[in-house]
Amino acid sequence: MKTIYIVAISMLLMTACENELDQTPPVELESSALTNYGGVLNAAYYYHTGVVTPQAVMGDFRADNITFDDEPPYPDFHTYNSDLGGLAVSEIFFRPFYSNLYKSILSANNVIENSDDATQIAEAQFLRGLSYFKLVVAFGDVTVNLSPTPDSSDLSILTRQPASTVYSDVIIPDLTNAIAGLDNSGLSSGRASKIAAQALLGKVYMYTNDFPNAKIALGNAVNAAAGAGVVLEPDFANVVTDESSEIIFATQISSSITNSATGTIFSGWFQGGDTKADEQNVTLSLIDAFDASSTAGGGTDLREALSIDVAARKGVKYTGGLDQDFIEIRLSDVILMYAEALNETSSPASEVLPLLDPIRTRAGLTSLAGTASSQADVRTAIAQERRVELAFEGHRWFDLVRTGNVDAAMGQSIDSNYHIFPIPPSEVLASAGVITQNPGY
Amino acid sequence: MNLKTRLTLILILLLNVSLFAQDGYTVTGTVIDNTNIPVPGANVVIENTTTGTSTDFDGNFSINVKNGDVLVFSSIGFSTNKVTISGQKTLKIVLAEDSAQLDEVVVVGYGTVKKSHLTGAVAKIGGDEVAAVQVARVDDALAGKLPGVRIQNQSGEPGAAPKIQIRAASSISGESDPLIVVDGFPISGNLATVNPNDIESLEVLKDAASAAIYGSLGANGVILVTTKKGKSGKVNLSYNTYTSTSSKYVKDIEMLKTAGEWAEDLQSGDYDLSNTDPALLQYRLDAYTNAPDVISMEDWLFRNGSSTNHDVSVSGGTENLKAFASLGYLNTDGIVRGQGYKRYNGRMNIDANLSEKLKAGLSMNGFVGDQEIVPWEMRDLLRAYSISPIYHTQESIDFIQQLDQTRQSIYDASVANGNPISQLSGSFDSNYRGIGLDPTSIYDLQPGDVVHDWQYGRNQNGIGGTGDAGVGAKFNESRRFKKTYFANASSYLQYELLDGLNLKTIFGADIQDTQTYEYHGQVTDGQQRSDRSQLSNSSIKKSTVLSTTTLSYAKTFAEKHEVTAVAGMEFVNTYFKGISSNGTNLPFGLPLNYSFISPSDVNTSTVDAKQSRRGYFGRVAYAYDDKYLMSASIRRDGDSRFGANEKYAVFPALSLGWNVSNESFLRDNDKLSLLKLRFSTGSLGTAAFLGSYQSLSILGTSPTAFGTGFLIPDDVANANLTWQTNTETNYGVDLGFINNRFRFSADYYTSDVNDMLINQSISEVNGTPSIALNRGDVTSSGLELELTTKLVSNENFSWNLSANYSTVDSEITSLGDLEELPRQVYGGPSGRGAEFRNYVGGEVGEMWGYAVTSEVETQFIADPSRNIGFGSSEWYVVDQNGDGEITYEGDYVKLGSATPDFFWGLSSDMNYKNFDLSFQFQGSQGAEVYNLDPIYWKSQFGGRLTDAFDPDGDRIADIGPNAGKHYVETRNAHGAMVQDASYVALRNLTLGYSLSSDLTDRVGLSSLRIYAAATNLLYFMADNYTSFNPEGVEIENSGYAGPTTYGYQEGASPIVRSFTLGLNVNF
Repeated sequence: MKTIYIVAISMLLMTACENELDQTPPVELESSALTNYGGVLNAAYYYHTGVVTPQAVMGDFRADNITFDDEPPYPDFHTYNSDLGGLAVSEIFFRPFYSNLYKSILSANNVIENSDDATQIAEAQFLRGLSYFKLVVAFGDVTVNLSPTPDSSDLSILTRQPASTVYSDVIIPDLTNAIAGLDNSGLSSGRASKIAAQALLGKVYMYTNDFPNAKIALGNAVNAAAGAGVVLEPDFANVVTDESSEIIFATQISSSITNSATGTIFSGWFQGGDTKADEQNVTLSLIDAFDASSTAGGGTDLREALSIDVAARKGVKYTGGLDQDFIEIRLSDVILMYAEALNETSSPASEVLPLLDPIRTRAGLTSLAGTASSQADVRTAIAQERRVELAFEGHRWFDLVRTGNVDAAMGQSIDSNYHIFPIPPSEVLASAGVITQNPGY
Repeated sequence: MNLKTRLTLILILLLNVSLFAQDGYTVTGTVIDNTNIPVPGANVVIENTTTGTSTDFDGNFSINVKNGDVLVFSSIGFSTNKVTISGQKTLKIVLAEDSAQLDEVVVVGYGTVKKSHLTGAVAKIGGDEVAAVQVARVDDALAGKLPGVRIQNQSGEPGAAPKIQIRAASSISGESDPLIVVDGFPISGNLATVNPNDIESLEVLKDAASAAIYGSLGANGVILVTTKKGKSGKVNLSYNTYTSTSSKYVKDIEMLKTAGEWAEDLQSGDYDLSNTDPALLQYRLDAYTNAPDVISMEDWLFRNGSSTNHDVSVSGGTENLKAFASLGYLNTDGIVRGQGYKRYNGRMNIDANLSEKLKAGLSMNGFVGDQEIVPWEMRDLLRAYSISPIYHTQESIDFIQQLDQTRQSIYDASVANGNPISQLSGSFDSNYRGIGLDPTSIYDLQPGDVVHDWQYGRNQNGIGGTGDAGVGAKFNESRRFKKTYFANASSYLQYELLDGLNLKTIFGADIQDTQTYEYHGQVTDGQQRSDRSQLSNSSIKKSTVLSTTTLSYAKTFAEKHEVTAVAGMEFVNTYFKGISSNGTNLPFGLPLNYSFISPSDVNTSTVDAKQSRRGYFGRVAYAYDDKYLMSASIRRDGDSRFGANEKYAVFPALSLGWNVSNESFLRDNDKLSLLKLRFSTGSLGTAAFLGSYQSLSILGTSPTAFGTGFLIPDDVANANLTWQTNTETNYGVDLGFINNRFRFSADYYTSDVNDMLINQSISEVNGTPSIALNRGDVTSSGLELELTTKLVSNENFSWNLSANYSTVDSEITSLGDLEELPRQVYGGPSGRGAEFRNYVGGEVGEMWGYAVTSEVETQFIADPSRNIGFGSSEWYVVDQNGDGEITYEGDYVKLGSATPDFFWGLSSDMNYKNFDLSFQFQGSQGAEVYNLDPIYWKSQFGGRLTDAFDPDGDRIADIGPNAGKHYVETRNAHGAMVQDASYVALRNLTLGYSLSSDLTDRVGLSSLRIYAAATNLLYFMADNYTSFNPEGVEIENSGYAGPTTYGYQEGASPIVRSFTLGLNVNF
């Protein structure tokens, strides 16, 4: 009898004493237990792997370089009306773009606020500046959050801030701090570097039409390049490979690592080789641009065949497949912007155009020196050079908007509402309307 | 004096009395039951008199009667039978068993209750009914049998779990799986782990008051399984076996065309071929017509399946030691290539009386499930064009090489005559876009090579078109399986402290190891944007240790006051441990071993978690004179998953009942034999979908280019995360007529979910799209009707028929700060899914989109010969607001939801002599499914219309019978894909024959039955449903968010029709 009670009670106690309602995970890390922020910084880089495919599509497919044809909703990129505000297209492009940028920002905020490693902080500032820059360029006004732990129940912090404020209060200070805090040791491993911050800051000034400051920052980058080991890649065929010597900063993509937004790789969109893209999707306008470049350059623009299979009208620029890195900024881009900044700040053509020579020589073309003299003509020449040099690298549309050439290039009158892209509709609903949709979408 | 002597004496006395009766004669007879067994002690009374007798041990009686007397025969547990005397000398009276009168015992949480004292909503099914259906899982057998319990065959894969939903869903974010309690032990596994042949009875606790004693676990309802126990007496050995053959129910999907069929269709006059160059058209028509060895994808992918089942069980024992043991085996080959299921079950139950007051028991259950799953999306496999064999033959190689030559000569000729056919300019080899795994030129092909679509020409230069890899390659280079190992051991000790007061403790543990394997090789050799190859292995062990101690009391005072009470406590620890490994960039041509994969391509993650739960509970039930019933329960639950401030919650319940028919004014009513009113209300909580540490902020990890990255936590630390409370009220009435030959029950309930745990959407500025919060309310109501009848009941023929009908309606009444959750497109590549909306005032998971009127006519397809695909891939849509534009904001309407208007079941059991015939119908009405298949099956390409159809490109038709109407591409024409998911299924039809007892006696068996059965012999689906399984719903794609996105289908495994021969033997 007594044995029974003992057995019963001991059975009860056996489980009861191990039954503790305060459980903590044995093999996972609580965010409050972090001590080294290197892993968080890695994530701030990593989230850009989910950003670059939409970024590339927005840059080239919205513009006059390449088209989608058959398969909806992709052709919405070519209708300059509310179509692009639909849910399906947002889920494929704008939402992963937007959410991964804010994740990168949160990770960067965490490093900036909590790390005691100055280099980590400077890298995080670079990434935060880059992320906000991408957001502003794509969406205009955006929500600004500089805290690693925003209060998710406070909707008021979500109010979109004017793009000009984001530039002046966040992006420019972050990049300026990054320049101060970084050296160029990160270049070889693909991390942020001083020259990358200088180059990006210059690009940011270009987007704010602050050409005097752009000239300074880009000039710093151009002048520092050789010392940092950044030189123009001798052969254009290798210019966008992962090993290219002119990469200043690229988002590292590896077939070993799933990108942070499931879905496609950006290079596939340009190759027309998958079942979704139209077979003949490079625009005749881009082919004409290359042909014009050949004609004007007194030879054959080598970049044409290295960028486009003209017969099949598909892109051939990328050869890296699932390992292809996405170049955020490379030396040619910086040189071209520097030339542009000089031209806009009234430097003479004779000083500006020779800057393009190394790029043109590599392309098998003659110098432009002497072919243009007015500021407007130089502007046009640089824009033309940018288009063919940087085709399929996600720049074209943003360049057109920045320089006010959308209507001219696209051959139609496009409402300026459609110069920027729609905020993901999920954001409008999830913020109970505090985050507003861009007009027109 | 023993009983027999006593009865004989009484009989003699009665006979003596009868000697004095006048004008009469003596009638003798026998009273037997349905199975020909004598009924001793049955009352035999002349109606409206006190004259009577009772039967002896052999069922014999003798009584003095006169013509016109009515003899009334009755016995406890049997229906009453009446015979009018008109000169009969001998009588043979059959009394039908009346289980209702036996006052059946119903199992409820931590106890049992007499059915007549039941006050909640509890459905019961006997184990024989479960075992009578030849299904892979116990839950499949419940389909259509229980009101308020919806069993949906959402996967169709053999052995896969059906969706079980008891009443309204308790959560809009979590699943609806009920708690499974086997012999008092809430198991970690699901119902698949229980052998259908081991079940004694199965009860479903539907209302909150019944389930509340399970507190937080009971929110989705509770299924209580009682397994068979040994009985004292003769050892019984039982053997059951069956073998089935199966095939898909839908024989032929018309929209899936083969090359030959398509060639005929093209020339049928439905298409306008005039826009295609005649030479090009003839080239293609010839190719479709002459393609050799064409295999229809549908014929290749589907096959005849089969099942074999063996079950052996032994039971027996002495007064003090009883045992039951069983072994089960099932092997099913599915009807889809690559589909299979094997199941092994073992069980042993031992019950011992250690002393007069002390009882103990031990039960052990083991289960192995081995599920081979079709390794590739079925939608994707079926979309492949049926223009070729799967593997090349010499004929097919010759054919495509010849075709490529023909193409060149036609092209050359067209160039020569100055009118080049540009489509034919490229060679077939130029279509190749792979990475060199297979021959890159059609001129290098060998018989036996996998056929890829590009080899038949794409870019319109042949008859291929998808550019997708061949299905042969997809099948060769992929595999998927899931193995489940489950073991449970539990013991109990029960001691009677005082008369009616028992102490019982249950202690046990179970472990479930789920192993999944998925391999996708580098097969997409037809396109450059290739999938990453993948090798995934995971093994997750979930184990539970449980201890329950209860003190229960049952006593009747002064004959009229029945009191039962139970109090107890329960401690449960659940452990999750496991590892999963993921490899990518698999080397080609090497064995599938992680050692051959580059270390940087292998990613391993570890799972280690513990959840603790404790509960204290009690229940008191009181019945007065079998008339007035009351039951009250309370449970206090604590759970480690909740926030630090909110670990505990209390869940009370109360239920009342009134057996009106036991009142004096109804007691002797002939017609109305049962009238009972029931009311219950209670609340229970749920932890719903919460993970082990969801109230904490845990860093996720991911490999990055620079080493391990710590990701943004999915959850925000929330010390106030707490229980969701479901309050449910049930109103019930039970009616019985004519000695309960007809019984009718109705239950109506309302449920209100408060502090609903939802994955509340938040701005992604916060780094995560949603966080678990207690926000929002959902209210639901439903009606459940059940009718059971004994239509015929006599010696040779009996027929029982029952039917049930249920409805469920739910409405979202609050979403916290939001009016609507973000709309979600769920399912389908590139967002070709339904748009699900969840907003205050709406149903859960509404599907929205453009409404359609009809498909754009096929004669407007510009070049129909281009590919197989008979649809225009464009639909006319309704401009709802009439603004002349088709816009997302203005023209979306609700197209449906996955919740049926009602669902029902109808079952019948007939016995005629040695034959038995039973059937079970199940039906569901008014649910919709968003079926993606037709987009791919009808045509894979949009934008195929003639220029004349819409010259200005404003997407308004300019010609044809629907000129002036707006049209959009099928993938945007959501209404074209929302289909009626209603169905009526004859789930089971069984005809059995039992050998008569004299025959079985002769061969030394106690019984032997053979049967033939059919599953889904009939299955009616709605006219506009176009795939293989209207019940199919995809819940495994990324982005699935629970009930808020429920109702999307693609390539669902078909409804299976099977025919079975089976044998039941008892020794």
